[in-house]
Amino acid sequence: MKVLRKNPEQCIECHACENTCSKLYFKEENPEKACLRIKETDSHPQITTCTQCGVCIDICPVEAINRDKNGIVRIDKKKCVGCFMCVGFCPELAMFMHDDYIEPFKCVSCGQCVKACPTGAIYISEE
Amino acid sequence: MIQVNGKEFPWEEGMTVRRLLELKKYSYPRITVKINGQFIRDEEFDTKVIHDGDEIQCIHLMAGG
Amino acid sequence: MILKEYKYELGKIERGYNNRSLYINVGDNTIKEKEVTQFMKDKFIGGKGFGLWYLWNAVTPETRWNDPENEIVIAHGPVAGITQYPGSGKSLVVTLSPLTHMPMDSNVGGYFGPYLKFSGFDALELQGKAEKDVIIYIDGNKGIVQIMESDIEEKDSHLLSEILTERFAKDEEDKKNISVVSTGSAADHTLIGLLNFSFYDIRRKGVRLKQAGRGGIGTVFRDKKIKALVVRFEGTKGNLNNPADQGKINRTGIKLHKEICDLDDKQNRMRKIGTANIIEVMDEYDLLPTHNYKFGCHKDTYKISSDKFQARVTQGLPDGCWYGCSLSCAKAADDFIPETGPYKGQKVIVDGPEYENAAALGSNIGVFDRDGVLELNFYCDTYGVDTISFGTLTAFVMECYENGILDKEKTGGLELYFGNKEAALELLHQMSRGEGFGKIAGLGIRRMKKIFIEEYGADADFLNDIGMEQKGLEYSEYLSKESLAQQGGYGLTNKGPQHDEAWLIFMDMVNNQIPTFEDKAEALHYFPMFRTWFGLMGLCKLPWNDIAPEDNKYTDEPAKIPEHVQNYVDIFNGVTGKNIDKHELIVQSERVYNFQRIFNIRMGYGKRIHDKTPYRSMGPVTEEEYLSRQERYDKQLKELVGFDPEGKTTQEKMAALRKYREEQYERLTDAVYKRRGWTMDGVPTIEKLKEIGMDLPELIEVVKKHL
Repeated sequence: MKVLRKNPEQCIECHACENTCSKLYFKEENPEKACLRIKETDSHPQITTCTQCGVCIDICPVEAINRDKNGIVRIDKKKCVGCFMCVGFCPELAMFMHDDYIEPFKCVSCGQCVKACPTGAIYISEE
Repeated sequence: MIQVNGKEFPWEEGMTVRRLLELKKYSYPRITVKINGQFIRDEEFDTKVIHDGDEIQCIHLMAGG
Repeated sequence: MILKEYKYELGKIERGYNNRSLYINVGDNTIKEKEVTQFMKDKFIGGKGFGLWYLWNAVTPETRWNDPENEIVIAHGPVAGITQYPGSGKSLVVTLSPLTHMPMDSNVGGYFGPYLKFSGFDALELQGKAEKDVIIYIDGNKGIVQIMESDIEEKDSHLLSEILTERFAKDEEDKKNISVVSTGSAADHTLIGLLNFSFYDIRRKGVRLKQAGRGGIGTVFRDKKIKALVVRFEGTKGNLNNPADQGKINRTGIKLHKEICDLDDKQNRMRKIGTANIIEVMDEYDLLPTHNYKFGCHKDTYKISSDKFQARVTQGLPDGCWYGCSLSCAKAADDFIPETGPYKGQKVIVDGPEYENAAALGSNIGVFDRDGVLELNFYCDTYGVDTISFGTLTAFVMECYENGILDKEKTGGLELYFGNKEAALELLHQMSRGEGFGKIAGLGIRRMKKIFIEEYGADADFLNDIGMEQKGLEYSEYLSKESLAQQGGYGLTNKGPQHDEAWLIFMDMVNNQIPTFEDKAEALHYFPMFRTWFGLMGLCKLPWNDIAPEDNKYTDEPAKIPEHVQNYVDIFNGVTGKNIDKHELIVQSERVYNFQRIFNIRMGYGKRIHDKTPYRSMGPVTEEEYLSRQERYDKQLKELVGFDPEGKTTQEKMAALRKYREEQYERLTDAVYKRRGWTMDGVPTIEKLKEIGMDLPELIEVVKKHL
């Protein structure tokens, strides 16, 4: 299964990953609409990524979250009732809500952000 | 003598917060303790000593039905 | 066979309101829509506000609970149906109660309320009486309402809910879009019938039941020959309320989900065991009702402590009774096999136990048996019997039996002493079958007292002391004996001694935070008003204070959970686009609360005399009770009453203590009425009504006669 992993010490906070992701899925460059987050701190940036752990699967009251045939955890937005319990219970805080949408969104390990990253601070790991 | 929640209670030498809770049979986990108006953190219950004449508040945050 | 079909235009909810309600008369099969007016929204908001308003207009002071004019009104509220904030799917059910003869209001979960809302209606009125059993079906996607003749033989809720969910769902996937309101066989034979509201549990692939428990609403339902209500709505999404500020609602919901995720395990463990988490706590603090409220603890409570139930209920499933409830308190024991009754040997789901059930069906009747409690819980639910009334009245019966007021001859062979689980179960089965002593017990404590006094020559004073009912409704499961504030919390209510208005035992007895009459009166103003609000909105109160932010204890008034009060203001404003604050929230409640008090007065009740309480709720009735707390009582006599216990008999001490406590209750009543803006007879003054904007002509007309 492909999982997005991180080396925060190599991140230069260019936000190219976030902009690439949000552009791809929501048609605009907006880190608030990205499925990973770079948070600038006093030392190394804090990178939030989905580990495909699957805790959200059992939290969902309508079984809208499932693993696909490659093991990636995906949301069926048609089934989703927008309760956002998955956002609250995600151990990585990697399930996201933005005011413009009534369903949450998450990383599906597509790897486009990795291609945009100039330093290798994020990478897809085959696990 | 100390005051616990406004009522008199016998004091003993070396009484910690934990010991007081035991003596009062205050077993409920969600308790806030104040000694003379100062909050006592949960981590300090075993070590914080109560002195004769202190005023203690043990507020249970019980929600009920 | 369809008796009547009504097609309606699907609409859109605007900021929490459909602005219309549905009226159905099962006597003449009228189905019509009614406008929800601005006046209704301003004065009554929704939920039990709408219920009480509709009921007021449906009945006269002469209407009895079993007259066709009596209505059952089901209403949710403007905030109900949002999917983001825990506890947002509740309905309020209102009717004239067979037990109290006054308006009863009951708060219930399940999916019916939100689906009724999404189908297009802010409330459902049910009036009239059918000739033969009917089922009412609402299809919220097609815009159809149908009254049909029932062809179903089964009477009990767990079967009815399954059958009707199966029948009206397109397929397995569709079952979660169905909710059924039903009761059970005992509602045909007792006055303590409840309503079950279902939701389909997709992981268990079975129906779950939540209860509108108190007051005999299920009995009224069956008196109208309604078999069930069914609603179907497909397409639940997070924005169907068309709120003014979706983002604010989402963020507030997520904040609470996070709080529950991080803190529930070390606070009340609601996700693991629900409200039953306090069973052993109440026992430790000598507050667990035991043997008809005689005592507060028992050596065998460990057999029914929360860990015993936690081991039996299935963990880790999303058990919220509406989407978005991460507090998830609705625990269920799967594959439970009853040992008695018509479902003996079959695997069933037991929804529970809530704390009330563990106390009512456990300690209060002396049944310290986990599986016994679960079996009583199961049968009460499916037979449609209020577990609280059943437990409290059975405790009364048991004390009568142990005192020789009842005997085997009178009970038809049932040896109803404390702890006899088999006899308690058989009593319940008799209620279902409508035979034997079960029929008498099912009338409730008030009517039983009358029968025992008039027909069995029982001592009236003793029965009035130990019969834990007030206003006709059985007490719920907390020991108010040593807490004056809780005596008021039970006794000075509108509907009867239910703890949904105020729960002050710890604040009063343990924390000593409300020492003066004024302090208690302030608490008995604020908390009932705050908690009434949940009933206007279609919200559950548990997420208010059964979980608290980490820093709550450091706030000025931790008992109010200030951050959560702000959450509620935020989601109300977020849905409706209004701009209330926490003070206006209280005034909203005061309007409906005073309206309900005046409705009680209109029906011939609602005065000071009706707020008096049985002595068992206030102090030791028997020597046994006095001696079990002798040190405490002797000390109180000396320090508070100025009565030296030295050398006095127990009877003399009991008399002195009783006089003192009864006086205290009167003084509390004075202080509370004053704070609430009522006369010393408990009547809302015109000045008060003007202050809150409820000086409606129909209300003035009623209070005028009593001022």
